[in-house]
Amino acid sequence: MTEQTPQSQLNSIATNGKPLLEVRNLKMYFPIVKGIFGKITGYVKAADDVSFYIQSGETLGLVGESGCGKTTVGRCIVRAYKPTDGSIVYQRADETTVDLAKVDSKELQTYRKDIRMIFQDPYSSLNPRMNVFEIISEVLRVNELCSPKEMEYMVAHIMEQCGLRPEYMRRYPHAFSGGERQRIGIARALVTSPRLVVCDEAVSGLDVSVRAQILNLMEDLRREMNLTYLFISHDLSVIRHICDRVAVMYVGKLVELADANALYTNPLHPYTESLMSAVPIPNPNLRDRKNRIRLEGEVADPSNPPSGCYFHPRCRYAKERCSTETPVLRDLGDHHFVACHFADELELTGVRMA
Amino acid sequence: MTINEIDLALADRASGGPSTESDVRIEVATQWQLMWWKFRRHKLAMFGGALVLFFYLLAAFAEFFAPVNFTTYNEQYVYAPPQMIHFFREGKLAPYVYGYKFERDPVSYKKTWAIDKSVIIPLRFFNHGDPYKFWGLFRGDLHLIGPVNASDPFYLLGADKSGRDVFSRIIYSARVSLTVGLVGVAISFTIGILVGGISGLVGGVVDNLIQRLIEILISIPTLPVWLALAAMVPLSWSALRVYFMITVILSLVGWMGLARVVRSKFLALREEDFIMAAQLDGVPRGRMITKHMIPSFLSHIIASITLSIPGMILGETALSFLGLGLRPPVVSWGVMLQDTQKVAVIAIYPWLLFPAVAVIIVVLALNFLGDGLRDAADPYQ
Amino acid sequence: MADNNNLLVQVEDLKIHFFTNEGIVRAVDGVTFDIHSGETLCMVGESGCGKSVTARALLQIVHRPGKIVDGSIVLYRQKSHDQIEKVRISDLEPKGREIRSIRGKDISMIFQEPMTSLSPMYTVGNQIMETIMLHTKADKNQARARTLELLEFVGIPRPNRIIDEYPFRLSGGMRQRAMIAMALSCNPRLLIADEPTTALDVTTQAQIIDLIQGLQKDYDMGVLFITHDLGVVAEIADRVAVMYLGNVVEYSDVYTIFNDPQHPYTQSLLRSIPKVTATREKLEVIRGMVPSPFRRPSGCPFHPRCPKAMPVCSEIEPKTISLTENHQVHCLLFDEDAKKPVREMAS
Repeated sequence: MTEQTPQSQLNSIATNGKPLLEVRNLKMYFPIVKGIFGKITGYVKAADDVSFYIQSGETLGLVGESGCGKTTVGRCIVRAYKPTDGSIVYQRADETTVDLAKVDSKELQTYRKDIRMIFQDPYSSLNPRMNVFEIISEVLRVNELCSPKEMEYMVAHIMEQCGLRPEYMRRYPHAFSGGERQRIGIARALVTSPRLVVCDEAVSGLDVSVRAQILNLMEDLRREMNLTYLFISHDLSVIRHICDRVAVMYVGKLVELADANALYTNPLHPYTESLMSAVPIPNPNLRDRKNRIRLEGEVADPSNPPSGCYFHPRCRYAKERCSTETPVLRDLGDHHFVACHFADELELTGVRMA
Repeated sequence: MTINEIDLALADRASGGPSTESDVRIEVATQWQLMWWKFRRHKLAMFGGALVLFFYLLAAFAEFFAPVNFTTYNEQYVYAPPQMIHFFREGKLAPYVYGYKFERDPVSYKKTWAIDKSVIIPLRFFNHGDPYKFWGLFRGDLHLIGPVNASDPFYLLGADKSGRDVFSRIIYSARVSLTVGLVGVAISFTIGILVGGISGLVGGVVDNLIQRLIEILISIPTLPVWLALAAMVPLSWSALRVYFMITVILSLVGWMGLARVVRSKFLALREEDFIMAAQLDGVPRGRMITKHMIPSFLSHIIASITLSIPGMILGETALSFLGLGLRPPVVSWGVMLQDTQKVAVIAIYPWLLFPAVAVIIVVLALNFLGDGLRDAADPYQ
Repeated sequence: MADNNNLLVQVEDLKIHFFTNEGIVRAVDGVTFDIHSGETLCMVGESGCGKSVTARALLQIVHRPGKIVDGSIVLYRQKSHDQIEKVRISDLEPKGREIRSIRGKDISMIFQEPMTSLSPMYTVGNQIMETIMLHTKADKNQARARTLELLEFVGIPRPNRIIDEYPFRLSGGMRQRAMIAMALSCNPRLLIADEPTTALDVTTQAQIIDLIQGLQKDYDMGVLFITHDLGVVAEIADRVAVMYLGNVVEYSDVYTIFNDPQHPYTQSLLRSIPKVTATREKLEVIRGMVPSPFRRPSGCPFHPRCPKAMPVCSEIEPKTISLTENHQVHCLLFDEDAKKPVREMAS
């Protein structure tokens, strides 16, 4: 069963050249430590055999409920965590590849400027004791990416691009509102002209009106700076808005991966279907939708997941096979990947288009 | 970028017009400035801070502020009571005190002191009196105030059993008692930061061992340990060595709490997003600790240090009072208080308790200061 | 719908100011609305618009330095079958006996993070039982039986076990359910829900919303639902109050608000949310940001960000204008009187 890795299929469909980043069978297990002697009693499988690729220039969405492991995957890619197993193949600018999961910390340093991260919380992600210039220029300084003279110019330039007044670079974060702070966080991530940006819930902490500004800004910057985004969020509306393709995670596993339109209108995994059904739609005329799906029970415990398909205890289409056999992520055509035994038999409904 | 510029202008308008000068002042303020502004509003802490500063100045320039040397004695004036200082005579600034006379109690025939208003002892500011060697370096004989005639008695806070000036001795004692606190805290700070830092940064087995060790050490009652250690100090040691040893003994007990604070700060910081951001910037370990982590809790550490100085001062006073700390001829508040071990002495010569008043004032002032610092330590709430 | 027989709470021209060292913040600045039994009023707005403070005022739990400075909150309390008592909540002592008899009995509240209102020291069951015994004459056994009933009712599996669990042992969704069970323990007439689903995942959010709606139907409760999520509003609201910087800028039924919004803020807000049903396109934004409460703009507080602002908007504070009987707008665009004199002056 494991012979047919999802990877073999993923490779074959990466048609337009090699992908910018390819995650293969990524595993991130956190040990559960008990007692004063630090005995390991088990593992939380935060990411379990996750595989996907990101093409240069696209925005891939990673969506799922809290605790599904989406943030863990993002942090493995920026190498805040060292993955337990699997590989993260990154394609350098000269088209050679490197496995980021295996490189040592010294070599890793050379990729820090290429793969950057935008954080969720605009308050805790900025050091209150450093001014904006120090915050944004830190990466330039420690990696000696430019001379001290150029540094001021580069910081001013990226601040301007992110909609911040360069005159304010000597101010401290406490002088800025939430939206402005998020712009500072974006400027910090983009000052190195990265190639891949991992956005971890980058707009979740913002007010509605500010969220729209930041989403537009990120979209503009993507075009101007030729960026590739991995956009992690629990908000299906935001994901829909900004992403080309979307991957859905459930309890550490990828359950579906497809073009955004296909995934939203024609989901193939029952979990995706129930997610779509649960999203509140800001249109009261659509409120009395019939046969909405309400999931029963709770998300499975990643340290003690159910047998077979992790979703089977909550799945309304579950059959016997689901509790015994773990489904593999497979392509059902048009690069629509799904990890469900019965994906080609089920008739699932997606989001109704307005 | 025109869209952004319009956006900016409008953002300014939305937030109620461009910022005023005072806003800018706050917006570019470093954490220390913010802390100072916040601290300044804490009146009691400001008062405490001023008092602490005053006492340390007294201690630093003890030779100048004390009217006489702490060893100067006059057996004629044993247990002389405090004199009241008068500043004006005949409308002019001319400080003076009244002299003493003996009185015989007609009933008990006991010799007692009385103030003799007929004898006026003129005083002088910036008086040339007892010669001294300032900090053992510079010769001098200038005192803030002193009797014009050096042989005249001048006992602002009375005299002790050898006829020494209690006031001068309190000022000289401050030098020892206050620096014991400072040096002791410096030592426990260093140990605490090192041990706590290792514990918090390395983690794992090392952290586990250090924490267990601290728990064991902390469970040992403080006073017996002090007593035992202090009793082991050989009598033959010089005063300076004893002083140093006592400081080390005091600080050995103080570092554990600090190490725990430092460790928990490091652990908490590891979870902060901005530390992860710095890590992703590729900030090397040394810079991470010095530039990103320590500034985040330094202010808290300073506050808790301030709050731990009083404990050191009280510890020294207690040990010396019990005769296990510093010994004469070194003079500290605790050493001075050894004279008051008998209740009878306190009853007849209550001014010998003035060193205790000094201890109380300093300890309170340090606590006020520390409280204010602690409140101001996190200006970003 | 505005049948006076089932009027529950009437809030009129409510003003709550915060007296801080830095100055007075007009957190709620003249808010008028009412809630009827069986209906859901949604209060929607961005952070700092005063929606939570307004809700807290209904229970007299505005924390210091906030104070109700003007206006009235009247609770219509069912005394007996056909006798209704009017209680002016705004005049009650915040720590007094009377408001305490209202809290939890007539009006209950649930919060965004149930952990802050559930004590970690007591089991879930203990806390619910205590509320029941405080407001009814039930003894311990009756209270426990009722608690089990409630826990089952709010969809907690194995209530026999959960009743003796401590709150931190429950998941976010379960805690919120326990919180709702506690809020419902005395059959309140009005349930105030302050962002009850914001910290929850979409599937859990859907469960909780279903639960609240089901309970509302069963008990004929009034619900004041506070949220910043317009999707949730569209799903559950009967009527909507859109708030901005302490004012209700638009107040109408949910269909009017979404299909025919009149206030420029409501219009922009609706256009600025990404929708799960729409494909990638540039979002419309409201320029600038919510101003600091200490720098409240003059005139209409929305004017610096308003796409339809007129010169007069920075000078005159708008009044509430009724467009129809159940559609109120707080905007000078609809105030012919306010527009006129300035035009004349300009010409």
